[in-house]
Amino acid sequence: MQNTTIVETHGLTKRFGRGVLAVDSVNMSVRRGEVYGFLGPNGAGKTTTLRMLVGLIRPTSGTATVAGCAPGDPKGLARIGSLIESPGFYPYLSGRENLRVVADMASVNRRRVEEVLDIVELSSRAGRKFGTYSTGMKQRLGVAAALLKDPELLILDEPTNGLDPQGMAEMRKLIKDIGQGDRTVLLSSHLLGEVEQICDRVGVISNGHLVKQSTVQDLLGEEGVLIRAQPLDQAEQMLTTMFGNDAVARQDGALHLKVKPERSTEINRQLVSAGIGVSELRPFERSLEEVFFQLTGEKQGS
Amino acid sequence: MIATIKAEWRKSRFRPAFLVSSGIIAGITVLIYSINWYLALHPGSTERVANILTLYPDQFVNFVMGAAFPLGAAMAIVVGALFTGSEFGWGTLKTTFTQGPGRLTVWAGRVVVFAAWMFIITLVLFGIGAASSVVVALFQGHALTWPAAVDVMKGMGAIWLIFFVNGAIGMAIGTLLRQPAAALGIGLIYVLAVEIVAVRFINLINNGAYKWLTEQFVNQNATALAQSFTSPAFGRTVAPAITAEHAVLVLAAYGMGLVIVAAGLLRLRDVT
Repeated sequence: MQNTTIVETHGLTKRFGRGVLAVDSVNMSVRRGEVYGFLGPNGAGKTTTLRMLVGLIRPTSGTATVAGCAPGDPKGLARIGSLIESPGFYPYLSGRENLRVVADMASVNRRRVEEVLDIVELSSRAGRKFGTYSTGMKQRLGVAAALLKDPELLILDEPTNGLDPQGMAEMRKLIKDIGQGDRTVLLSSHLLGEVEQICDRVGVISNGHLVKQSTVQDLLGEEGVLIRAQPLDQAEQMLTTMFGNDAVARQDGALHLKVKPERSTEINRQLVSAGIGVSELRPFERSLEEVFFQLTGEKQGS
Repeated sequence: MIATIKAEWRKSRFRPAFLVSSGIIAGITVLIYSINWYLALHPGSTERVANILTLYPDQFVNFVMGAAFPLGAAMAIVVGALFTGSEFGWGTLKTTFTQGPGRLTVWAGRVVVFAAWMFIITLVLFGIGAASSVVVALFQGHALTWPAAVDVMKGMGAIWLIFFVNGAIGMAIGTLLRQPAAALGIGLIYVLAVEIVAVRFINLINNGAYKWLTEQFVNQNATALAQSFTSPAFGRTVAPAITAEHAVLVLAAYGMGLVIVAAGLLRLRDVT
């Protein structure tokens, strides 16, 4: 059951009018029970893809299966909770009353409203009108609405958008908690750190194309060790002898060694006993940010 | 369907637009009764004075029909445009459409609740009208006699139909434009200007040879229906060119047509 897919798309494409190709032949699969990060820069096609998955917009071509149904099928929607872009509620109603409207619409028992308010820690402020809520409270109410159906699949589109650092941290914790157990979470974000912290697998979308889909670990590549030592040439020669040519690379005045970080102590001992001074020796892995910029072809810091 | 109606009612029962509209219709009814009462007692030098007989309970149905139209119709357009157009601006349409019920079910529930609100506003109008007429009669020492129940029902049905059809204009334009402001503006301009100018223009062509065309316009029929409720006390002698039966049929066709067009738009278009 764990390995079956809950979201699957084949050649999913959306063209608006005759011009903008927002999503181009996306083949995506989300497995049951995982937290899947849908990563891409602003305007990459994340929201358009998610809107297609919940049936808000129709694909120009391609197919999608969500929770075993076609997008927008009432049977499928009954098993999906979603927060697409910004939370949409009636400003003149309280948070609680807004959730009751959604609960009525989804034929969910009214008691569930209080449960989800507790989960998002909004019970004490649920009586206030939605129009008076802060951005963080609005987002949390949006998550609460998405949880009302106790869904198998939760689709959250940039849930930390507009939040301050504390709000973002709280939202990340909330999503982690929600993602425990059998529930699948499909989370879109342009924040790399967020995805790295929360997700099991990621799909990277750029200019409407899904350019990569894998586990976070696979995306980051092999583990290794970074070494700064003097004299560097002597250290490089010694490590090449020990681990082979392919395992050693020189970069920015340091050596990148493709070995398990657990071997750091042994490497340090060897280098020091050969009279080489080691100023830095630490596990090295590429950041998701580096991988992301490499995949999307965007320039870092631009 | 029941769940959708329940949800639509829950969200609409405290909606300011409906509450304010009910308040306005109540206030306007009292104001018109008060002004007419004053004019009836203080005719001055003006030629047309209000007839106190029109203000008594036996005439209240006829009186409120005149008092409610066209202001009530214009208000219904505004409320209709707000009812559907705001859903796009607030992003609530996407929340609704991702809960489970199909789009047409949601729309049907919305139309039912809107129709219910138009009935509530009609009840307020007739209730306040009846109460005002009682106040006038008591102060003037006139007997409290009421129109036949069937006439009250017919009057309420007619006003409800007029409000609903005008509301449907607002709802359809709100759905078409996906926003309330332009929708209510266009709706009001149509009712208060475009239709009037078009009717005058068509009547001038070929000595009125195309007058039949103007008899299919929505507010020509609404006016005719409202004017079909009258009595000698109001001094109107010329019968409307459009019969009440024709007006009811045309208005019902407009109501259904607009609801179906809006349903089609909601069903087929993307929610972006």
